[in-house]
Amino acid sequence: MTTIHVSDAPDVARSFADFFDGRRAVARRADIKIAETPQGPELVIDAPDRDRVHWRLEDIRGVPDQAAQGELVLAHAADPLSRLVVRDPDMRRILTARCRNLKYRPPVRGKGRLALWAGAAVGSVALIIFVLVPVMANQLAEFLPPRGERALGETTFEQIRAALDETGMAPLEICEAEEGRLALERMASRLTQQVDLPYPVNLYVLNHDMVNAFALPGGLVILFRGLIDAAEDADEVAAVVAHEIGHVAARDPTRIALRSAGSIGVLGLLLGDFAGGAAVLFLTERLIQATYTQEAEAQADAFAHRTLSQAGIPPSALGRMFRRLRDRHGDATGIIEHFASHPALGDRIAQAEAADSALTGALRPALSDAEWRALRRICGRS
Amino acid sequence: MTTGVLETEFAGRRGPLFRLALKTSFLTVLTFGFYRFWMKTRLRRYYWSSIRPGGVPLEYVGEPMEKLLGFLIAVVFLAFYIGIANLILMFVSFALLGGSYAAYLVSFLGVIPILFYAQYRARRYILARTRWRGIRFGLEPGAWGYAWRAMVHWLITIVTLGALWPRMTFLLEKYRADRTYFGTARLHQGGDWKMLYRPFLPLAAGAVLTGGAIGAGAALDPVALGGLVVTVPLMIYGWVNYRVQSFRLLTDAKTADGIGFVARPRRWRVLGIYALGGLLIYLSLSLLLVAMIFAGGVLFAGVFAQIDLLGGLDRAFDTIPAWTGALVVALFYFSFFVLWGVLTHIFLTMPLLRHYAETLRITGSHALPHVRQRGRDSFAEAEGFAEALDVGAAI
Repeated sequence: MTTIHVSDAPDVARSFADFFDGRRAVARRADIKIAETPQGPELVIDAPDRDRVHWRLEDIRGVPDQAAQGELVLAHAADPLSRLVVRDPDMRRILTARCRNLKYRPPVRGKGRLALWAGAAVGSVALIIFVLVPVMANQLAEFLPPRGERALGETTFEQIRAALDETGMAPLEICEAEEGRLALERMASRLTQQVDLPYPVNLYVLNHDMVNAFALPGGLVILFRGLIDAAEDADEVAAVVAHEIGHVAARDPTRIALRSAGSIGVLGLLLGDFAGGAAVLFLTERLIQATYTQEAEAQADAFAHRTLSQAGIPPSALGRMFRRLRDRHGDATGIIEHFASHPALGDRIAQAEAADSALTGALRPALSDAEWRALRRICGRS
Repeated sequence: MTTGVLETEFAGRRGPLFRLALKTSFLTVLTFGFYRFWMKTRLRRYYWSSIRPGGVPLEYVGEPMEKLLGFLIAVVFLAFYIGIANLILMFVSFALLGGSYAAYLVSFLGVIPILFYAQYRARRYILARTRWRGIRFGLEPGAWGYAWRAMVHWLITIVTLGALWPRMTFLLEKYRADRTYFGTARLHQGGDWKMLYRPFLPLAAGAVLTGGAIGAGAALDPVALGGLVVTVPLMIYGWVNYRVQSFRLLTDAKTADGIGFVARPRRWRVLGIYALGGLLIYLSLSLLLVAMIFAGGVLFAGVFAQIDLLGGLDRAFDTIPAWTGALVVALFYFSFFVLWGVLTHIFLTMPLLRHYAETLRITGSHALPHVRQRGRDSFAEAEGFAEALDVGAAI
């Protein structure tokens, strides 16, 4: 019995192609053919003035992302320099069908090195953002003159107003109803009478629902309308303001603002300007939610208790407001997070209530009833 | 002169480029920017292979992984510089000057030497990863030399109110060109800087007249500002004219061991590409915006249609999770970003490249067989600094 062996490939596949040997800038018109050998099929490249080149089909790689349509640019896995440009359509079809590793990409080399540098990059960024910048910011904050602090605070305030804006048109509105503003000024002057600060304390109300308040460098204390709406009387607002003035006096916001100035550049670098913009917004948000250390909070509390007592306002107002907000909203509201993310909230409420005993003079409400009504309408009728 | 002339063909086409750019930008967004190293590599492969002097494509052999590595290396160094320097500058600026603008200015000035350094390094990386006829290009080390020369030239240019701009253009190009190799053949920049004054004239005239119109408008009579209608277009024309003609003069004056060049890009064509490309990008993005607003409207109408069923506005809005808003905004933002980049590729970058390629001729090609291979220039940080500082090549 005779067996007729039929190969699926044509007996002689041969054509012409341009061969570049990677040594001289010469295009060589080469005679190419596919030959079956015991080691498997190979492409034999016969170029003038050159030794015959043998490429096993499985070692042939296609150069990717080529613009020209009617052309196949080939390379050999073990030879990074030689190139073969095949234009003959039949040959292209045959080679595309038979070179099974045409699209194979070699595994990444130097993974260890990459991992090393990735580690170094993460490490150095972490070192800078979490260690160097905070340490330097703490030191520098001590030396910043009052005028500089004020300028830093004003710049930061603008950034925050822009970041909080939801319309995309203008910075978040500052509430400026005349009588409300006068009430605010009265509150500020009552709370700072006994305090020695190198700059005046200015209170601002932002027209936003957030139940929160924060301090910025240079004596800026910012309240959100939501906080005033949530307070039951002026004493509660005054207690919060006193606490924030405590942060101002201790220069806590100055440290945070300098810290973010250092970190913003680094994050922008990491993420590129596209995602970097989002990072800047995020950091600006962090300024509002600034979490100070437990020590700083305790000192601000102590400052508030002292100041409130001296002004004849019961410090327990702070504890009262915390307790009510916690009961109503749970721990996740802005102000509770800001004031009370520390485990010792219960203690702090208790301390605020205990501080009432230090009250010496007669109690005087933080604002008169008329002033309190004016403050509640500072953002217009709502 | 007519023997050994190689014309340059251009094989890139909008369709495949559009698909490649769209796919890779999309992946870049999905991977929070990490795929950008692959995107850059793939787009460069496409662009390089489009350019075919004498019918043989250029090849870009840069690897995405080396770009990622280079970026990481740059981050390690720049993070210290930018983090610490920024903080100190911010402090000094607020402490002494009571404002942040001085800090931004000083911070920017401090980064300038690194920008030039990074530019030169990026060029070296790109040339080292470019091949034609299987032979590598190369650029000699010399990034700091370039950085200080660039700064001195800029200073001179600024001090002379731009009068010596052509001198800067020429000398910086000469510094780069004289260190450029194709295999063993070294490029030489011939000619001298005074040859660039002719194409510089319209730009200078446009700038002087614009300045004059603004000055006269501010000091004498606001009517003089009307002159801007003529002077600003003149300045734009002058700018493009200077770019095109100086490229042409500089390229024609370059030689490399018997190989020469003839560049014939046309200024009106380049202006036309900018105008038409800009218009097409603007129209496409406007169309996208209208489509998005329409889609948003339909979505909103759908929500309102439910109100009657649910009985109340509050309830209707309660049924939409809060994050949908953020998702829609993000979708808007990313679609815009992606499409803008893709359209720039197909309507500006590619047409410009095509025009510059198709008008480039190489002379003295009989000298090419003498050009031999050069060693591999392996430097670790690739174009990391340029990538991190965003001063990479246009592509």
